[in-house]
Amino acid sequence: MSRSGGSSRFGRRWHRPVAARRWLERRALALTALATALILAVMLYLPVAVVFVNAIFDDGVATLAFFRAVLTDPFYVGVLADVFAEPLAVGTHLESLVGWLAAVSISVSLEYPLPGVPLPVPWPSLELPAFRKGLFGFTAYQAALSTVASVALGLPAASVLANYEFRGRRTLRSLTILPFVLPGIMVAVGFYAMFGRAGTLNRLLAIGGLGPFPFIEWNPLAIVIVAHAFYNAPLVARVTVAAWESVDVRTVETARSLGASPRRAFRDVVVPQLLPAVLTGALLTFIFTFMTFPIVLALGGLQLATVEVWIYDRVRQLAYAEAATLAILETMLSLALTYAYLRYESAHSGLARAATAPSREPLFPDLRTALSPHRLAIVGYGLIAVVVFVGPMASLVAGSVTDGSGFTLRHYAFLLERQLEGADYQTLPWIAIRNSLLFGVATLVVAVPMGVVVSVVTVRAGRGGAIVDTLAMLPLAVSGVVFGIGLLQGLVFGIPLPGGWRFQVTGAVAIVAAHAVAAYPFVTRNVSPLLSNLDPAMIESARALGASRYRALRDIELPLVASGIVAGAAFAFAISIGEFSSTVILASGSQTYTMPVAVERYLGRRSGPAIAMGTVLLGVTAASFVVVDRVGGRFER
Amino acid sequence: MKRRAFVGAVGGSAVAGIAGCLTRNGNDEGDDSDGILRIATYESMVDGENPAGTWLKEAFEEEYPDTTLEWTVPNNAINDYIDRERQNAEIDVDVYLGVNIDDLVQVDDNLEEGGLFQELDVDRIDNAERIRDGLDMGDPHDRVLAYDTGYICLVYDETVVDEPQTLDDLTEPAYEDALLAQNAQRSDPGKAFLLWTIDAYGEDDYLDYWRDLEDNGVRILDDWSESYSGAYMNGERPMVVSYSTDQVFAADAGNDMSRHQIAFPNDQGYANPEGMGIFEGAAELDLAYEFLDFALSSEAQAVIAQRNVQFPAVESEHVDLDEEFDRYAHVPPEAVTIGYDALRGNLDGWVEEWAREFASQ
Repeated sequence: MSRSGGSSRFGRRWHRPVAARRWLERRALALTALATALILAVMLYLPVAVVFVNAIFDDGVATLAFFRAVLTDPFYVGVLADVFAEPLAVGTHLESLVGWLAAVSISVSLEYPLPGVPLPVPWPSLELPAFRKGLFGFTAYQAALSTVASVALGLPAASVLANYEFRGRRTLRSLTILPFVLPGIMVAVGFYAMFGRAGTLNRLLAIGGLGPFPFIEWNPLAIVIVAHAFYNAPLVARVTVAAWESVDVRTVETARSLGASPRRAFRDVVVPQLLPAVLTGALLTFIFTFMTFPIVLALGGLQLATVEVWIYDRVRQLAYAEAATLAILETMLSLALTYAYLRYESAHSGLARAATAPSREPLFPDLRTALSPHRLAIVGYGLIAVVVFVGPMASLVAGSVTDGSGFTLRHYAFLLERQLEGADYQTLPWIAIRNSLLFGVATLVVAVPMGVVVSVVTVRAGRGGAIVDTLAMLPLAVSGVVFGIGLLQGLVFGIPLPGGWRFQVTGAVAIVAAHAVAAYPFVTRNVSPLLSNLDPAMIESARALGASRYRALRDIELPLVASGIVAGAAFAFAISIGEFSSTVILASGSQTYTMPVAVERYLGRRSGPAIAMGTVLLGVTAASFVVVDRVGGRFER
Repeated sequence: MKRRAFVGAVGGSAVAGIAGCLTRNGNDEGDDSDGILRIATYESMVDGENPAGTWLKEAFEEEYPDTTLEWTVPNNAINDYIDRERQNAEIDVDVYLGVNIDDLVQVDDNLEEGGLFQELDVDRIDNAERIRDGLDMGDPHDRVLAYDTGYICLVYDETVVDEPQTLDDLTEPAYEDALLAQNAQRSDPGKAFLLWTIDAYGEDDYLDYWRDLEDNGVRILDDWSESYSGAYMNGERPMVVSYSTDQVFAADAGNDMSRHQIAFPNDQGYANPEGMGIFEGAAELDLAYEFLDFALSSEAQAVIAQRNVQFPAVESEHVDLDEEFDRYAHVPPEAVTIGYDALRGNLDGWVEEWAREFASQ
């Protein structure tokens, strides 16, 4: 219908586009959902199914033999192997559990936690009799420790970024996500350069007459956990900051005016609003570190091998049945955890909050405030952050401009020379940079609607929604190695069709789709908690006044959850930049390689060129995160 | 308004979706040769610093005008082609440059024995007779010829530890917490070192030796890059499993030579010959044979050796190497290799047993 009225000439001219737009608007949500489902079917469910089928069929006959083999092998499941072998012998299992519990004891002893320093500390120790954890048990154990460390390191950062104003706050907030994109080898090299025997930290301590300490060799598990925190604490911080910035400050003021102390108001009003975000960060961290693989081997060694390490080995040996079995068990564990969390999340959607952002106080307004215990604690945290986050990255950059004989620019000269003189079958730095940025933006554009649509579809659907939402988290829960093999066998080799045809998906479109599949759960997990907190009455009013579901979403809901969308978009971009395992498979033999792929390709007998490329990756992504956040910031309120 | 434009744009573009594609293989490729020789190889052959691959391409195209040499780097090396063969997907390369004995075992353990590559007609490769004795790759189906070889040894810092004389020395207190090795599941030098110990102690006792190494604090990192570029170069430990050509790089980078000493315990090094073979369905059979012959020519052998920093496959009278290379690339007094027959059917089990020993929690 035309609103131009008077002139029928114009009326006719405008009629069709307006009608088309209305039509599109009415169906926008359904169409986006359909596109999302299609992308997921082709780029996720198909490849994963191609591999998983190996675990269930043996020569075309369905079997549980592979699961039985894994579940009764103490190497994989430790003491639980007996339980799986004879699930009905409950009495025997209880007896061994009671025997184990009886052997648990607690004692206090004097310990010297710092080697070489005569400082006695009374140390309560819990004596747990040894039991075999198995690969799955150990993987879960290190993931749990990594999650605790990541949350402990991430929350203070979120608190500072959300509550204090200081120069460079916005830039720092943009850069929190930077560690997330670094390839494993870069992190390993950076950690060795920072914490190694001849590393930066020891050189600093030597100025104070301390050391050198073999930090990495002392306790490799601790270093692996710190490395996991390096990757994941920024994630926790980022998700939490987004939620913190949308805390409704009026609820805090109300609590205060009713006589609550600042501490009490924080505990009773702010914490419940932050908890879903913190737990989201913790859940993502647990899943990521459960599936970790290059980092444990690079820093911890084979002694700290995880399930994913074994999946990779089985894939390398072309033993797909065992690899798929391990991957399915791993996926089931992650999905169960996700489901439990999502049930919690949907149970905690609260009342409507039209966000009024909390005001930030200056970090260091004057000297006296700067010396208060609170501010000193922040300074202390800052020092830790410098050692854990800045140190490895700075050491990496330093490594790119040095070689055995001191300062050199030869590694960068290599990149420049390769760019200018390289052949088309070689990896050219500029093409890698360009592809990374293009794919990053394209991923953001595809993954944000996908993630939002999944949020909208699931947020108000209760228990059923939680199941759909859990399935939508599959990209995070499935092993990267298995996903890569599925893409290779399903999409690169192609699915044979009748008549000699093959269905194949490769090239840039496939890479962007794969990145979007990996990235949209971050959008969903950033948006859903905020979306479920909105008052349903607002949308109902809009709908009652004639707005389509899409218009209600666009004009009412999205503006209110903008901070979550921007956080999700930044993640989508970061996931795309850092993605390696599917990119390398889909980019094979074409000009669609990205920066992390280039880093791996330049790794050779000398690591210099790879580290230089890694530094370029760091620089380019740092710059683009600042841009993504600044551009995104314009849409937040 | 801007916000709406943004959200609208974002919503709309998702619909663009995904472009799948249907292809039809086989039919358009007949017997007619197009003069393009496609060779699969590994990354550092074409993408390293000063790689041998660029030279090989130019020189080969110069010698055989009207031909083009195309490089391909498969992600999963030989596994990609084993997978393709198993799934009847197309293999569109003619030659594989960089097959080692493990790869042949992997092929035969997963496909029909003697699969993937064709049996070579050695009479068509004049230069084949130049190949050194002892670089026979032991394939009962004669599918590959060696084009170079490397030796796995120990690289150590002489300011911290003395040169170990035997493998047994590594379990002594003098070498406590000294050695870095690599995960044999993932890394070529790591696997070679494991096979070396199996050669030295036998398949029944090698795990005992590794238990002693573990008690003495051996550290097994991911692969060569992590253990060397990460841990060793950052002074974490004074000894690492590496290549006997290590000093060539160290000298070039201006590193302190005392940290790059070469040790051959038991007066041995583990030889890892690299071979080349022609795929069963090669479209350019004649060119493929020309290339194999060309790769064994004097000039190509010198370039491959020096740029790939490995030893030539041909007898020394057929190749001139720079003095610098001769000075820094070391050959062990005795080269050991576990041959095809012993590896066949055993390799995966050995590696897995070994890995389970270390990863047991």
